[in-house]
Amino acid sequence: MSATASARARKAGPLADHRPAVLAALPAIAVLVIGIPWVQANHLWPFVVTGVTDGSIYALAALGLVLTFKTSGVFNFAIGAQAAASAYVFYSFRVDAGMPWPIAALLSLLLVGVVGSLVLERLALWLAEAPAVRRVVATIGLLVLLQSLLTGLYGTATIAFDDFLPTGLVEIGSVNVGVNQMIVVALAIVATIGLFLFFKSTRLGISMQAVVDDSNLLALQGTNPVKVRRYAWAIGSSFVSISGMLVAPAIGIDVNQLLVLFIAAFGAAAVASFSSLPLAFASAMVIGVSMNLLASQLTSNQNLTISAFYTQVPFLVLVAALALLPPRRLVERGARRVRRARPIRAFPRQAVYGTTATVVAVALLIPDLVGPGDLTQYTTGVGFVVIFMSLGLLLWTSGQISLCHMAFAAVGATSFAHAQHNGVPWLLAMLFAVAVTVPVGAIVAIPSFRLTGTYLAVITFGVGLLFQKLLYGTFLMFGKFDNQQVTRPDALNMSGDRGYYYLSLAVAGVCALAVVAVRRSRLGRLLRGLADSPVALDAHGANTRLTRLFVFCISAAMAAVGGVLIAGVTTSASGNPSGSFGYFNSLVMVAVLTFCGRQPLLSPIAAAFLFVVLKIYPPFDSGFFVDYQGVFFGALALAVAVVPGIARVQPSRRGALRTPEGGPVRARRDLQLRGAWV
Amino acid sequence: MLELSGIVAGYDSAVVLRNVDLVVPPGAVVALLGPNGAGKTTLLRVASGLLAPTEGRVLVEGKDMTGSAPYRLAAAGVCHIPEGRGIFPALSVAENLRLQTPPGGGRMAERAVEVFPRLGERMSQLAGTLSGGEQQMLALARAYLCNPKLVLLDEVSMGLAPKIVDEIFEYLHTLAAQGTAMLLVEQYVGKALALADYVHILKRGRINFAGEPCEIGEEMVAESYLGVGA
Amino acid sequence: MTTGQLPDLTVENLTVRFGGLTAVNNVSLTAGSGSITGMLGPNGAGKTTTFNACTGVVPAWAGTLHLGDCRLNGRSTASRAAHGLGRTFQRMELFDSMTVRENVALGPEAAMSARRPWGQLFCPAKEAREIRSRTSTAIDLCGLGALANRTSGDLSTGQRRLVELARAIASPFRFLLLDEPSSGLDVQETEQFGAILRTFVAETGIGVLLVEHDMALVADVCTYIHVLDFGCKIFEGTTAETMSSDIVRAAYLGSEGVSAAAEGLAHA
Repeated sequence: MSATASARARKAGPLADHRPAVLAALPAIAVLVIGIPWVQANHLWPFVVTGVTDGSIYALAALGLVLTFKTSGVFNFAIGAQAAASAYVFYSFRVDAGMPWPIAALLSLLLVGVVGSLVLERLALWLAEAPAVRRVVATIGLLVLLQSLLTGLYGTATIAFDDFLPTGLVEIGSVNVGVNQMIVVALAIVATIGLFLFFKSTRLGISMQAVVDDSNLLALQGTNPVKVRRYAWAIGSSFVSISGMLVAPAIGIDVNQLLVLFIAAFGAAAVASFSSLPLAFASAMVIGVSMNLLASQLTSNQNLTISAFYTQVPFLVLVAALALLPPRRLVERGARRVRRARPIRAFPRQAVYGTTATVVAVALLIPDLVGPGDLTQYTTGVGFVVIFMSLGLLLWTSGQISLCHMAFAAVGATSFAHAQHNGVPWLLAMLFAVAVTVPVGAIVAIPSFRLTGTYLAVITFGVGLLFQKLLYGTFLMFGKFDNQQVTRPDALNMSGDRGYYYLSLAVAGVCALAVVAVRRSRLGRLLRGLADSPVALDAHGANTRLTRLFVFCISAAMAAVGGVLIAGVTTSASGNPSGSFGYFNSLVMVAVLTFCGRQPLLSPIAAAFLFVVLKIYPPFDSGFFVDYQGVFFGALALAVAVVPGIARVQPSRRGALRTPEGGPVRARRDLQLRGAWV
Repeated sequence: MLELSGIVAGYDSAVVLRNVDLVVPPGAVVALLGPNGAGKTTLLRVASGLLAPTEGRVLVEGKDMTGSAPYRLAAAGVCHIPEGRGIFPALSVAENLRLQTPPGGGRMAERAVEVFPRLGERMSQLAGTLSGGEQQMLALARAYLCNPKLVLLDEVSMGLAPKIVDEIFEYLHTLAAQGTAMLLVEQYVGKALALADYVHILKRGRINFAGEPCEIGEEMVAESYLGVGA
Repeated sequence: MTTGQLPDLTVENLTVRFGGLTAVNNVSLTAGSGSITGMLGPNGAGKTTTFNACTGVVPAWAGTLHLGDCRLNGRSTASRAAHGLGRTFQRMELFDSMTVRENVALGPEAAMSARRPWGQLFCPAKEAREIRSRTSTAIDLCGLGALANRTSGDLSTGQRRLVELARAIASPFRFLLLDEPSSGLDVQETEQFGAILRTFVAETGIGVLLVEHDMALVADVCTYIHVLDFGCKIFEGTTAETMSSDIVRAAYLGSEGVSAAAEGLAHA
């Protein structure tokens, strides 16, 4: 038995060593063979040069992302914000403080790259045993925090940033190539080769691969895994920081733009199944070049969606890679060691009745308690209560993750508007919106059949961005003027602010009852089971795919209802990225709901109040609080995600349970499941 | 060399070791026998710092190292060859040997090849593509490379062909002859007893026999393993 | 679903391979209804792999698996469960945020949810009654009455094993596979577990295949035992035959056995 096994294994040996590289090289060669004559014939070399330069910058960030995710298990959603921070700090030292650029760059690298890495490494250590939701929320919190902090400090306008690298042109062949472009590309190539050699030939580099495989074994061999991870974060974080500084001169500094731009690095990392560094480098290049070539071919097109299609490449790559990669390549590190979240505390019956009565009474009296100007804010709040309830159902009851919840709300609001434009009355239009959103929820549920935790979060994040960038602007949704008019119902004074508030409240009440009903139904019990142990449900014969499908559909439908209510407040809806339906709100809402707790009804109410209403009251209506709102939301979410882990820093205090199947069988199978690392 | 006293340890809600005392004198070989699930692996994990005991103390050369991180215990001379294969399958043989050598240990790979010549032919191959026996030899090379004072061995012969098991035990005899202390968990009871100076039998988390190999009879071992008296 | 003849589990010429490694090699065994059959073997013998092939966690490379007349090959885990094959987990997969009673009740509830396409959404009153009665019977049988309202995540390993067993017992399964239920239990808890299992099989006539490395529990409850080593079946027989078998001893104590050790000592 073992003889045949070893013979097979040896035969597979040399190939197994280079398999990812071979797999990547074949299509690459094909593209080159077809692509070069085409590029030559159409005089597209300048676009290729720009593409390679862009690709190099994405590659640096992608390498940093892969390196840190692989070694620590924490996916840094905030790399775009970190890169932006680095660019802003560089700007401050170079322009505001008037330092020479090398010193400014070095200081920025130290502050954002190195000091940032220490913070991130510490966070990752605290999150080592956290459930996936908390690991996701932590870096989402960081992203929200940084975005708000940078916008608060530097404003939302794009800051122009002069080239710091020499800008002379060199003619290569018949193409003029900027010296700065050459330096950027050289830097990325040196970084990749350097990393490769570092992994092949230094003890620390080898340890970094080993810590991914089996950090306990590494510790037994006398190397401290915590130290190895710290270095991995330092390198990864510095790469991200450098990429931020390099991208600044080309497009100026704007945190919101950089957040989206760095999705290219997510896409490249996803193609490399978050593990192979050369593959991440290559796919970043492909993304960079294909974006520029597409741009060259499509900019003349009249249709805005088509002419801007090139900007969709990173999101499409990200979503497609996660949807198509075999799930066995996407197994979360340390998933076995996770400590489950404490059960949600149920209040005693008396307290539930008391609280419900109070909340309902206060809600009914609000139009008489607050000024007419403030009332619309409360109505928006009621709409958001509905969306937060739907998010809570997904996040806390069923243990799934969605980072694209506002996309559901947007689908609801826009299909409602379309129905109204065609003369459908209010209530029927609302039902139509729900009917349209349910299949959308079902489609988003499909990745949840095969992906869990961080990977599900990443793909829903990509889906949210695809909606924002690809669909919001089309006639299907907000249209090219980014605006859809909606009307309130005429009957019973409901078109007035007061009437509309009561209407929204009634709809929210129905939704709240629906949440209670779902939680008490068989589906609710199955959802709680799904959150605790999908395998056990499976072993008792329940079709867990169906369960996931149901919860996504219900949650999407409810979010659509919320979206319709919100649109009705201003009687218009827009898909502006920083507006109500913007993709970024999906992230902020997950952060806010996290620190508001896991109660099915009370937490959404609290979250909506903090998110929407609180900012109309002093001192929260001051410029400071409005500007830095995200800092508080992000910091609170981060704290909630991280604090339970702080008490458990010492990994040696507890051991992982012995795996059910030890020994050679498992060792071999694991090897086969694992892609090679470098 | 190693002294475990009053060890209580377990995972989450499960207590695995219940008040275990065990001493490995310098240079001695102690065999730890017992049925599966008795807690042998857990005991080794406690001894090497992978698992901190909830009660009790771990002394290495008289120094209290309870709750120390595994890499500190490794630096103090404890070398734990874990159950399964103690190698990194995605790294090459040479890279594995490099990680096994303490920093500043020089080029020790040659020494490993002296002991296990088979490894020499496979230096650039991925460790995961080695045969089971070769993988175990690679893992065991560490007991040689890091000059340990105490080696903890967890079922190193599991799933291997008898000829390779012989080869591995030959190596363990050499190691013992050099004066390296060992704590040995082993399925081949006969071979373990032939190597050991002392024997402990662990059952359901308690030591229920401690003595020398000559004191132990076939029936005693059979009973502890199979749970049936003869 | 428990009407009619209760099925046997039949494994014929099962081979499981992972790449080049043959983890289970041509194993055949039958576990009859109304009795507890043991599957024994040292670590790495292929017990868990055989178990996983039965439940559909790993695919069978060759051979057939039958539950009664129903062929199991190629079915998903959930589909095998829907056809009556229940299992427990060595690492105990409980719904940790729920109470013991909710845990036990969710077993039959999950099973019944698969009966109709919309079965996951609503629970007909008739099924609710059946779930309630099955739950309380299982809780009583496993002696969990006093713990019924405790959160299962807070219980000890021994109690958690019983909750998992109760959940499987409450579900409308027609055959049960138990994966190393004694691991993590002390002697007393193991005995208690064995006694409950015997009562359950005697009362319902459902067949149980017990995968164990611990001889004590197997000797206590099993009537017939299959022994695996190196992926092959090396022995089968009644409990008494197995316990006195030299082949089994050799597998557990190393191929040379203890007598060879005594010889070795004499030489030394």
